[in-house]
Amino acid sequence: MTSETRFAHASEAELARILDYYGVAWEYEPRTFPILWNVDGKVVESFSPDFYLPELETYVELTTLKQSLVRRKNRKLRRLRELYPDIRVKLFYGKDFRALMLKYGRFDLAASLSGLEGQIMPASIGQPKLALVVPPVAAATDDRAPGDGATATVRPRARVSRGSRRRRGRRAYFAARADA
Amino acid sequence: MKAALRIPDLRADIGDVLITEEEISAKVRELGQKISADYAGQSVTLVSVLKGSLPFMADLMRAIEIPVQIDLMEVSSYGGATTESSGLVRILKDLSSAIAGKDVLIVEDIIDTGLTLNYLLRYLRGKNPNSLRICALLDKPARRLVEIPIDYTGFTIPDEFVVGYGLDFGEYYRNLPFIGVLRRELYEPK
Repeated sequence: MTSETRFAHASEAELARILDYYGVAWEYEPRTFPILWNVDGKVVESFSPDFYLPELETYVELTTLKQSLVRRKNRKLRRLRELYPDIRVKLFYGKDFRALMLKYGRFDLAASLSGLEGQIMPASIGQPKLALVVPPVAAATDDRAPGDGATATVRPRARVSRGSRRRRGRRAYFAARADA
Repeated sequence: MKAALRIPDLRADIGDVLITEEEISAKVRELGQKISADYAGQSVTLVSVLKGSLPFMADLMRAIEIPVQIDLMEVSSYGGATTESSGLVRILKDLSSAIAGKDVLIVEDIIDTGLTLNYLLRYLRGKNPNSLRICALLDKPARRLVEIPIDYTGFTIPDEFVVGYGLDFGEYYRNLPFIGVLRRELYEPK
C-alpha cells in the first residue's frame, strides 16, 4: 500500500508503514470536507484528514507541529465535528507521534520527523526565508495551518502540484524505510 | 539506530510513582473477583501477551477463583529487533493449545495505540473461541489509534512514559514492583 502512495510528510509515510505492519487498511487523503463557505456558497476552507482507516471507519489527522501551534488545526477539527457529527476523526499530535517512535525504539525518527524537519522540500521551493504570494482563495482553502510543516514559512503548498508533493513523500518513505 | 542505553539505576530513574505496589495488588484482587463473578460456573482461558503482561498475568490468575487455563503469546513489535524484513507483524510465540469453543480472556499490561491488540483480536477470532474478551491493567486512551472495547480495565493513566510491573524501557525496569513515570531526560532525544 505504501509503495503506491506519495506522502506530503515523512511522518505520514512512517505512520503508513506502522499501519501496514499491523495489517490496518488505510487510504491516504481520500476525502476533503468543506468546512466554511462564503456568501456565494463557495468553499473557502476545507479539511482533508491524512488517513482513513476503512475497517475502523476512522479518519486520522497527523500533525507533527509543536503543541503550541496546533490551535488552528484544533479549531478546524472542531468545525469538522460540528458539521459532520457522524464521522470519527482522531487527531494525532506531534507529542503522540514522538511517543510512538520512542515506544518502537525509533529514537532517531522521534527527533527528525517532526515539524519542519520532517517536511520534504525540493530545491525549487526550499528557501524558507522567501515569503510567497498566495492567491487568496488558495490560501483560504489550504488545509494546513500557519506553522504547519513547510507552510510555516513559505506556504509552498499553494504552488506545489499534488504530484510533486507525492513524489517528495515517496522519497521520504523510502528514505525512512532504508533507515529502518 | 537505537540509542545506547546505560545500565539503569532502577529507583533513581523514576520521576514519580504513578501506581504503588499496594494499589496494584488491590486492583488485581478486584479484577479477579469481577472476572470470577462474570465467568461463574465456567472456566476461562487466560492468554497473556509477552513480555510486559507477565507479572500481571501471574497475579491475576491467582486472584481468579474459577478454573483457569493459561497460555502465552508473543508478537513482534514494529521497529524492534524482531521486525521482519517483510515489514509485517509476526507471531513469535503462538498458543500452545487450541482455543476453539473456549472462553478466552486476553491479559494485557497496557493498551495505548491498540494496534497490537487489534491484530491479536483478529488473529484469535480466527481460531473460533466461544468468547473473546480483554483485560488490561493500564489503559492510555490519549494514545489510541484503534478504538477497542476493553472489558476489564485496571487503571486509566495519563499520557506518560511508564515502566515497572512488567513494563520496560530497553528491556529494563520490568522488575519494579510499582508503576512509575520514567524521568524524561532518559528517553527524550537531545
